[in-house]
Amino acid sequence: MSMLEVNNLEVRYGRIRAIEKLDLTVERGEIVTLIGANGAGKTTTMRAIAGLLAASRGSIRFEDRDITKLKAYKRVPLGISLVPEGRGIFGSMTVMENLDMGTYSRSGKKADSELDRVFELFPRLAERRTQAGGTMSGGEQQMLAIARALMARPDMLLLDEPSMGLAPQFIRQIFRIIKEINAQGTTVLLVEQNANQALAIANHALVLESGRITKTGTGRELLADPSIKEAYLGVA
Amino acid sequence: MSNHSPLGSVGATQTAIGEELADVTKKHKRTAALRQWWNDRSRLQQWLMLLVVVALAYLLPVINPPLITTEPANDFAISCFNMALYALVALGLNVVVGQAGLLDLGYIGFFAVGAYVAALWTSSDSTFVHIPYLATLPLAMIVTVVFGIALGLPTLRLRGDYLAIVTLGFGEIIRLLATIIPGLKGNTGFQNLGRPPGTNADGEALFTASNGLPWYWLVVTIIIIVAVLLGNLERSRVGRAWIAIREDEDAAEIMGVPTFNFKLAAFGTGAAIGGLAGALMGGQVGFVNNQKFDVPTSILFLAAVVLGGRGNKVGVILGGAIVAYIPLRFTELAAYKYLIFGIVLVLLMIFRPQGLFPAKAHLLTYGSRIRRWVKKEQAPAQPEGGPPPGSAPPAPGGSTAQSTRRARKET
Repeated sequence: MSMLEVNNLEVRYGRIRAIEKLDLTVERGEIVTLIGANGAGKTTTMRAIAGLLAASRGSIRFEDRDITKLKAYKRVPLGISLVPEGRGIFGSMTVMENLDMGTYSRSGKKADSELDRVFELFPRLAERRTQAGGTMSGGEQQMLAIARALMARPDMLLLDEPSMGLAPQFIRQIFRIIKEINAQGTTVLLVEQNANQALAIANHALVLESGRITKTGTGRELLADPSIKEAYLGVA
Repeated sequence: MSNHSPLGSVGATQTAIGEELADVTKKHKRTAALRQWWNDRSRLQQWLMLLVVVALAYLLPVINPPLITTEPANDFAISCFNMALYALVALGLNVVVGQAGLLDLGYIGFFAVGAYVAALWTSSDSTFVHIPYLATLPLAMIVTVVFGIALGLPTLRLRGDYLAIVTLGFGEIIRLLATIIPGLKGNTGFQNLGRPPGTNADGEALFTASNGLPWYWLVVTIIIIVAVLLGNLERSRVGRAWIAIREDEDAAEIMGVPTFNFKLAAFGTGAAIGGLAGALMGGQVGFVNNQKFDVPTSILFLAAVVLGGRGNKVGVILGGAIVAYIPLRFTELAAYKYLIFGIVLVLLMIFRPQGLFPAKAHLLTYGSRIRRWVKKEQAPAQPEGGPPPGSAPPAPGGSTAQSTRRARKET
């Protein structure tokens, strides 16, 4: 049984079909990457899996449970955490308060070990724990967004374009941390435009074009694929 | 800790940017000097000062300070009642607008429902079963909550401007219903509403339309109770959920916050307080008809919240009082009050968009867990070899040590 099984998924914005006939499986412990151009439906896919968008057709199963109709907030305690595109930091809350919001779905339970874990991954956040989230740089906000999602102790982390708008050296660090998080046992579904680095760390990868999956393979296979090279890696 | 950090090197290059940002946040800090001073007082000092302020608030109409007084044009005690009433309305609207960040332009609708509940169940013109006036206060709250949920259920899926437009329509619908439905008597209205029991030494009724003093004390007492209850709510999971929704609704949802339910809760809570204020208004004036519940008054309520500072209870109480006070004190300006408040709001948006008394820049008040975290992380962080103490850019709330002290004090 796969951890996440998306079958024949269709999501619409009014009359416009953003994704259709989308099949996707993620095995426990993997890093799976979804690459594609602007408007291909990557973010739509992620928001549908997280529950922020309703599926008009198809099904989403997580840990062998049908979650297609489940509200987003009820998917968090099941172990699905989304790091949304644009980070979604609570700007007037401090770093600590943002992290505390991350534990909202686990009310009452101690979260000290999670806190230690994210501070080890992101020492920068420990330094800035009383700073308002809205006053931090883009890279720090991205760290905070990932850390906040980890506070919910997810089994599966959905990362929507974590490298967007970051400086190149920051992007490399973020990818290194994603690998580290995965190595610690969290399954990762990663959406990226930054295909090169995303494919390099992915066990499996899918290419999304105009709302449909057009190619699948291991990260390595797709990295070597000439048509992928041309379309997404900027190599002629 | 930073030694085995994958982000160690990047951290250093980010420091410069961080310092720049800290400078920006310092601007907000300047305005928080008073709060800093307040936080430096001991718990006992804070309570004593609060006690003095509350006592002064109660005595305000008795002292009837010259220059501040609204006499001879308006009886000062009744003016004080109106100020307190607006403060209560602002307190309720603040839950919706300030805490949960839902723009409600039709809040007057709840106020109207409350006033009509008091009228229908106590007025001599009403054919309803009559109940004691004080019983209409909780009844008004219950009825307005029903109205609030009835409005919220279909509309709270909307966001931003759409919600504002729908609520604007709701306010007008309530006013028009009062005009159209024969049982609500339109312009004729209801007279002789009930009032709280009690007589003075001469055997005259304590609560009358001409004597504002007992009414004022009643409303101030209610404000204190409501403010304390709301304060507790704000520090609970409910309050945190509201703030998260205000900041980013989608992000709140994926933290596991049932955003729709909490928006509905904010709407219901706000509605109940609006209804309570409406019933109090009906009781004091003794007369309710369809003329008082127009859209401009609804906007005035919103102006009180924005003026006082969205999200800050004390701020919006003062904002409400100011909005009610200005036209009562400067009667020659009363006809221009919308012009004046319009200009004031425009200036406010330019120079002080967070309101006269902004909400705390960051909270730290809630969650013993956070206090524990801050303390716990503070202790081992100091002796560690990591970054030298001076290298870390200052957090907006002053040094981290200061923040810890403040956090500890708030236990």
